[in-house]
Amino acid sequence: MDIIISNNWLKDYLKTTASPKKIAQCLSLSGPSVEKVEKKSNDYLYHIEITTNRVDTANVYGVAREAAAILPRFNLQAKLLPLRTKSKQSFSRKVNYLNVKVDSKLCPRFTAILIKNVKIKPSPDHIQKRLTAVGVRPINNIVDISNYIMHEIGQPVHTFDYDKIHGSKMILRASKKDEKLTTLDGKTHKLPGGDIVIEDGDGRLIDLAGIMGGQNSAVDSKTKNVLLFVQTYNPINIRKTYMSLAQRTEAAVLFEKDLDTELVSLGIKRGIDLFTELADGMPENKILDIYPKPYKANKVATTLAFIEKGLGIKLSKSEITKYLNLLGFEASWKGNNLEALVPSFRARDIFIAEDLLEEIARLYGYHNLPSTLMTGAIPDSLPDAPFHFEDNIKNLLSGWGGIETYTLSMVPESSVKKGALKLKNPLGKGSSFMRTSLLPSLVKAAKANTGGGGAFHLFEIANVYLPRKNMLPDEKMMLAGIFANTSYRKAKGVIEALLGKLNAKVRFVAEDGKGFSASKRNIIKSNNIKIGQLGILEEDLIYYDFDTSLLNNISQNIASYTPIPKYPAQIEDMTLILPPKTRVGDIVISIKSSHKNLAKAELVSVYKNTHTFRFWYQHPDKTLNNKDVEIIRKKVVSNLKEKFGARIKN
Amino acid sequence: MQEETINTNKFTSVLLDVKNEVLAQIVDASSITELEELRIAYLGRNGKVTNLIKNIKNLPKNEKKRVGSLINEVKNTILNALATQKNSFKESARDWFDASIPGEKPIVGRLHLVTQAIREISNTFEKIGFTRVRYPEVEWDWYAFESLNIPKNHPARDDWETFFIDTPPHARYGLMALTPHTSSGQVREMMRVKEPPIRMLNIAKNYRRQSDISHVPMFHQFEGLVIDEGISIIHLKGTLDYFARNFFGKDRKTRLRPHHFQFTEPSFEVDISCGVCNGKGCRLCKEGWLELGGAGMVHPTVLKNGKINPNKYSGFAFGWGVERTFMMKAGLEIGDIRLLYSTGLKFLRQF
Repeated sequence: MDIIISNNWLKDYLKTTASPKKIAQCLSLSGPSVEKVEKKSNDYLYHIEITTNRVDTANVYGVAREAAAILPRFNLQAKLLPLRTKSKQSFSRKVNYLNVKVDSKLCPRFTAILIKNVKIKPSPDHIQKRLTAVGVRPINNIVDISNYIMHEIGQPVHTFDYDKIHGSKMILRASKKDEKLTTLDGKTHKLPGGDIVIEDGDGRLIDLAGIMGGQNSAVDSKTKNVLLFVQTYNPINIRKTYMSLAQRTEAAVLFEKDLDTELVSLGIKRGIDLFTELADGMPENKILDIYPKPYKANKVATTLAFIEKGLGIKLSKSEITKYLNLLGFEASWKGNNLEALVPSFRARDIFIAEDLLEEIARLYGYHNLPSTLMTGAIPDSLPDAPFHFEDNIKNLLSGWGGIETYTLSMVPESSVKKGALKLKNPLGKGSSFMRTSLLPSLVKAAKANTGGGGAFHLFEIANVYLPRKNMLPDEKMMLAGIFANTSYRKAKGVIEALLGKLNAKVRFVAEDGKGFSASKRNIIKSNNIKIGQLGILEEDLIYYDFDTSLLNNISQNIASYTPIPKYPAQIEDMTLILPPKTRVGDIVISIKSSHKNLAKAELVSVYKNTHTFRFWYQHPDKTLNNKDVEIIRKKVVSNLKEKFGARIKN
Repeated sequence: MQEETINTNKFTSVLLDVKNEVLAQIVDASSITELEELRIAYLGRNGKVTNLIKNIKNLPKNEKKRVGSLINEVKNTILNALATQKNSFKESARDWFDASIPGEKPIVGRLHLVTQAIREISNTFEKIGFTRVRYPEVEWDWYAFESLNIPKNHPARDDWETFFIDTPPHARYGLMALTPHTSSGQVREMMRVKEPPIRMLNIAKNYRRQSDISHVPMFHQFEGLVIDEGISIIHLKGTLDYFARNFFGKDRKTRLRPHHFQFTEPSFEVDISCGVCNGKGCRLCKEGWLELGGAGMVHPTVLKNGKINPNKYSGFAFGWGVERTFMMKAGLEIGDIRLLYSTGLKFLRQF
């Protein structure tokens, strides 16, 4: 959470000659992070980021306490000026002005006091200024006192109009589901149940405790008698309530961090002082205090060796003691064993030796610690790591003009197969499912770019998420790409070249598929396992995808070696006239398998139904003469004639 | 010509005529071949000048010397003229060629910025023995939060605006979520390796429920995790400084500031010295420092959840945004980070 602290206010409790800028620097290095210092008329404002574990510093007094501990470590004089209260009221389990029943699981400490004859008026100037400086709008003295205390010491305070509490009776309990309560902002809430509420003598709900007071018990301009109300609440209930009601008040944000029960004493006494001073109120003599389990300091034990090991340096026991004392811990040593008593305001944060280590280390100063690389054995790398393989594909495709893209893993429902993983809390309908194919994402990307008319090839390597029952989904790393304004042969050529470079032996098998134009799609198989597909989509884009792990399995990192032929090949071109609808892929396969000395055959050019092929005739042990070649050629030609009705063009 | 004494004057006049004749032809010649023909015709074994020289013996004795030097002069003049003309041909004989014409480019592909960033980051860490890994993007709540000491209903969870999958919760591992950070891989890596040393580099896609000019719902993080005997804060500082020097530049340094994460104790915010002002403070940085991201010493509860003995082993971890770190290095100022995940060719073709 981000807070603003006024330097003038801070100086009420911190005596130092350090400049605001210096204070900010030192706090950032060893304590709460000051994001910026802002000069405002005759004041400076610190913008501070408070981490969830340090709610004790989310207020003026807490920051003063930290600064007083930290500044001396930077050779700057600093002293905490403790907040003293004048109120002489005593704490009592029973009072005559209020009859209460409290569920202590929901409310670990409950205090209240009746203050009579308050005069409602504007707060004095300096109070108004301070509140305004930290972003709180002054209302009247009653409301301002609550806000002032909350910002000063971090304890939320509530006030009831005492005369609106029917029967002077309060029952603090968990709400039942669907109970209704109108808070003082006028909103009526239907409660989810388990919320902390207060019921008065007439069974009315008068407070959504820890979040916002009830409208029916709120202080108004006619209020005479005020019940000052200071509590701590079970943080889990508070959090649940404000999350489900979306009622995230400042008080709720503090209460959900589990506040210090000891702070309640200071909170109510400060309240009594301010009500006397600013509202001419007449407080009762006794403060009602229901506190069945008073704070007993946590003890955390550790050793000198543990601290030195964690810091990586030697440190004396007296230094350690000094740092802990500065932060409010009591430290006692038995030999090299340390026991530290945790102050109540750190009770929610310090439990184990590592927590103490952090306190010692930050006061010693992280910037004062040396910096060195670890020695020790280097672990073996991940067996079968796929990263190199994927990188290789990316290099090859981008080398041939492919443009890599990253598209969002979440897609609309229309883009996924049935049963795909659905998000509980998507950002919008367009991104509410985990994709089961990269196809829709790439089609969308391609269409967004087709305006220019130029050829392009987009590709991506990313996961698809295939649902499995009672298990995490199968995350398949897919390679997919899309060609626009590109001929089928060119696109297919890139895929063939890729497979060639990966030394992957595959077959292209024509098979129709969803989204592809009829008879314009291949599935790509290896050993009868489908590893990918390539084809022309109905949108006239050419799409392919591969399961990268299957592709990896059939790829070879380094090609196998074939001895270089000793005898030269005879090369000749032959133009064939094919009957309409002949599949040239089948012709190539047939040519290649028709004779063992036909080393290679490639399609060179196509013109209407004439196809020119180049043949390489080669024998491992001799140079083929024209007569040898003639025999092979005859075989090839007769084969083609028989199977395909192809004839040679003269 | 007869084999008797000949008139010296006549001889010289013939010689000079021949000289003028050949010089005129040389100037008119239009090719090297033509010049060669002229050379043969005049200076060759049977050439006109050669034949005249042969007659020198018939000159009167006292004249021979004077005529001899004249012959030499004529011969040299012809040879010189031949060479000069030949050279002038060489100049003009060059084919006209324009070296300034623009080239025909191959189709140039591109690797995405994120891929480039991941490569540089992993190269840097792999040199000091980190092992790159990858863990599920759709992950159980237990790995993403609970095993990292972030129980249900903990306010710290608000920092991760987490997407959840609409499935019934698993009895032990809870809800299914999209990993909001690469820290979800910490306990998985501990369980994979079983016995330290561990030097993990987990680079993966992460998801958070936010979308504005500085946030994208899908982004990448890299997570370092080192566990061994005797690992302390100074090793974290050493590793971060190594990264700063080798990834950002040799003069760059890091510093740690206190922070809080549930899964590390102590926890830090890591800053790097500003490369623009070298730590002096400028418009781009905060008093000479830029925020890199979070780090910390692995919490003993997390080690226990990964079945590693916290009394024997200790470790540190850090996890930062790939995109942010790379843009800081490259000095790229992309105003709206969502542009990184746009598929516009005008953007993609820039890198």
